[in-house]
Amino acid sequence: MDAKKIRKALADISAEQDPTVKSAKLASLCSALWAEQGVQLVVVGGSAIEILTEGAYASGDLDMCHATAATLPIVQRKEIMALLDAKGGPRNWQVAGMYLDLLGPVESFARTPYRRVEAPYGSFLLMKPEDLLVERVLISVYPGENQAARDCAKKFIAVILGGVIEVNWDEVRRLAKLPEYRNLLECVKLVKEVADELKIKSPLHPD
Amino acid sequence: MNSKSKVPCIPIEGSISWEDWLKGRRYRRELGNRVAPGVIRRKSSSSDRRLKKLFNGERGLPFTPTEKL
Repeated sequence: MDAKKIRKALADISAEQDPTVKSAKLASLCSALWAEQGVQLVVVGGSAIEILTEGAYASGDLDMCHATAATLPIVQRKEIMALLDAKGGPRNWQVAGMYLDLLGPVESFARTPYRRVEAPYGSFLLMKPEDLLVERVLISVYPGENQAARDCAKKFIAVILGGVIEVNWDEVRRLAKLPEYRNLLECVKLVKEVADELKIKSPLHPD
Repeated sequence: MNSKSKVPCIPIEGSISWEDWLKGRRYRRELGNRVAPGVIRRKSSSSDRRLKKLFNGERGLPFTPTEKL
């Protein structure tokens, strides 16, 4: 991507006042620049959930990990982020009026693909909803009750049940049985609760 | 519910276009609001200091109201 195009993108993202669109555009620009160096970035955690759900959950920071095995050396990271007039580093950057945290290798157990959004500066990847769902349900109850995580999980489930995020429920079941989570009962319970509120059948219900 | 929805889906395989992602924003927000309060941004986190400095005492930009999505 040439310098002129980067400057134009940066001006657009800096001026953007919708937090979710701003995050998505920044993810698009960063993904394009890092991909030129052979590193595939992926939006993770609450940032990914926000882009998937519009749940009004995320804060003013965007969390990304690298999906490719190795990341870039610190010097090269600084060179890329300098193209964006980013301050800080090497993992936390202030750029275009928000924060970008580059957190290291992505942790995913699902066998489904990362979801992909074709955005203005190039496509970007989102963490797999199967991982996000099981993880968010876990956070809502462990190590203790967490209302914000529970509300976030409920909104996420509602959007999935509404048919606007495609999810592999067999994979959700498999992940929830893994030693890393062991929360199938909690997942079944919360999905049923949301399904009941939406007056539809739960895809995780045994019958 | 799925079959009735005319809103573009974020698929497992392939990708969703920017236009379709934008088009689905309002419906996704409305679905979530049926089961939990509107704004559920956490009240605090370890990033508070830097966030509040950048966003005039808030933890991020205000969310666009649902009716404007």
